[in-house]
Amino acid sequence: MQLPRFLRTTSFRLTVLYAGFFCASVLILFGVMYWVGAGFISDQIDQTAAAEVAEVRTAAHGGSLAALRGTVTAYSANASRGMYYLLLDAKGAKLAGNIAPLAPVLGVRIWAARDEGGSFNGTPHEVRGLGVAAPEGGYLFVGLDAYELEEMREMISRSFLVGILATIVLALGSGSILSVGLLRRVETISQTSRDIIAGDLSRRIPVRATNDEFDHLAASLNAMLDRIETLMAGLQEVSTDIAHDLRTPLTRHRQRLELARAGNSLADVRLALDRSIEDVDSILDTFTALLRITQIEAHTRATAFATIDLSAMLNDMAETYASVAEEQGQTLATNVAGGLLIMGDRELLPQLFSNLIENAIRHCPAGTVITVAAAATPGHGVVVEITDTGPGIPADMRTKVFQRFFRLERSRTTEGTGLGLSLCAAIAALHNAVILLSDNHPGLKVTLRFQTANQTV
Amino acid sequence: MKILLIEDDRETAEYIARGLSEAGHTLSVAADGRDGLFRATGEQWDLLIIDRMLPGVDGLSIVRTLRAGGNVAPILFLTTLGGVGDRVSGLDAGADDYLTKPFAFAELIARVNALGRRPREIKAETTLRVGDLELDLLKRTVRRGDKPILLQPREFKLLEYLMRHAGEVVTRTMLLESVWDFHFDPRTNVVETHISRLRSKIHREGFDDLIQTVRGAGYLLDAAA
Repeated sequence: MQLPRFLRTTSFRLTVLYAGFFCASVLILFGVMYWVGAGFISDQIDQTAAAEVAEVRTAAHGGSLAALRGTVTAYSANASRGMYYLLLDAKGAKLAGNIAPLAPVLGVRIWAARDEGGSFNGTPHEVRGLGVAAPEGGYLFVGLDAYELEEMREMISRSFLVGILATIVLALGSGSILSVGLLRRVETISQTSRDIIAGDLSRRIPVRATNDEFDHLAASLNAMLDRIETLMAGLQEVSTDIAHDLRTPLTRHRQRLELARAGNSLADVRLALDRSIEDVDSILDTFTALLRITQIEAHTRATAFATIDLSAMLNDMAETYASVAEEQGQTLATNVAGGLLIMGDRELLPQLFSNLIENAIRHCPAGTVITVAAAATPGHGVVVEITDTGPGIPADMRTKVFQRFFRLERSRTTEGTGLGLSLCAAIAALHNAVILLSDNHPGLKVTLRFQTANQTV
Repeated sequence: MKILLIEDDRETAEYIARGLSEAGHTLSVAADGRDGLFRATGEQWDLLIIDRMLPGVDGLSIVRTLRAGGNVAPILFLTTLGGVGDRVSGLDAGADDYLTKPFAFAELIARVNALGRRPREIKAETTLRVGDLELDLLKRTVRRGDKPILLQPREFKLLEYLMRHAGEVVTRTMLLESVWDFHFDPRTNVVETHISRLRSKIHREGFDDLIQTVRGAGYLLDAAA
């Protein structure tokens, strides 16, 4: 049989645990009280007994057993309630007193009295007293009724039981209330999650304005859901794009192969096959680029960082592309400050810069001036700017172009995977660098802001 | 050359076998890691081509084991991964070169030839000569016949590479990796541009171009013009 849900909650278990601790504390408290109280009372009794013994001896004036006998008899006769006297001779026979003979044990002793003149209603109860040696080998005992002790014990036990019971009831009661309350909040979160899993990604967990842990949890979960929703939307977009972008070359590929089949001459077939290989290569390029972007975004390369001489790398890059630009009738200029150092990936950074410079070369007409510049800005890291005086990118597209497969209308027909800027963005993110597109008046300005080598993390 | 190929994918193995036999090499194939390691250590080979993903012992472990055991045969590593860190780990393990599948026949053959050039000990030569073209490594100067040629640093590096591989086809990818340290495919014709510039700079009136373009493969520097 399964316990009702709320009894299985952590909060209830915690409550039971706390109840246990409280009971233990109560136990200890009462224990201490009893111990102290009982100790006090027994001390009192012992003192009284001792005082009485002393009094008896004094009253015996002298100390012979006979004198003592007389005194004890007198005291016994006039014994106030709860006082007990006993005198034994050396042989253990009772000489005087109001209780039955006892074994002659010296010191403080406790025993259960039986009725014998002066007892209470026949009920046995505790007597506590002092036994001392009497002259001539005798034994004198004076004792008091320890009924106070008993009463105290009883009272403490009773109140202890009441206390324990109250604690348990309170603990379980409040625990249940708490659990039910907490459970309700947890249940809200669970229910919302179930709704989301069922497909409604726009649902969010309600936040009560109490600013407690549950609210924080709800807020965090909601933020996570926002992110997931964005990613899912992005994913759907990408899937559509991939499907679209790969269908085209694959369709061409298929068409060419069919043509190859129908080819008249071997040369025709060879040519068709060559073109098919090109198609396949372009598809493979897309996949390789996608794979690289995914790997970079998964931060699998963050540990391969080394100190990079950025000035040298950029100058090198500019030198490489100067001739390529010249062939296109463009000019490549540099303005790179010396001694710039950053922490980075030796393989990925060249790809980043190469991509950006090549974009400028490919998308700008003859006569464009492309500039590669870099400088250190105190307190703001190292800034790299790649600018061109070409057509630029419209302001409303400047964040979109970083999306996978996004192409500006006018570039739709040019060769390329459409992944270049996504790759740049991924590499920049890996380096904790900011990448921005802006207007170069005219043209495009790509700004990259890196942390300097000694500014890391 | 006597080549051992350790590759578990039959089609790839056939593809490679065909390409290499046509180029005149003798090829043996091992289909799993353990068998491959056994055969690699059991015989003398001019070149080992090892696939990274293998059943039994994986390619990376084979390379490490061979190197640890003192085997100095050149190793070409193959992989479908093409991951950003795989190249470095392969080279770190002791491989001499690295190819991502799929690759063109021409690429494979060019690299196999380059690796097969033995002995690998670089003679303490300070000048490279091909025909009447002379490159001085110390002075960083180039001359054709008795005419000095002024080259940019990158052009010098490019010519040096071509001359070290004189008589062999070098692919675009090989040049990008060795001369530019680019481990990606640029979207512009970086290599072509530099080759054509270099070509015109070392051109000598009345003589054929030393640098030839081999269609579908790459470039070739040859004195037999």
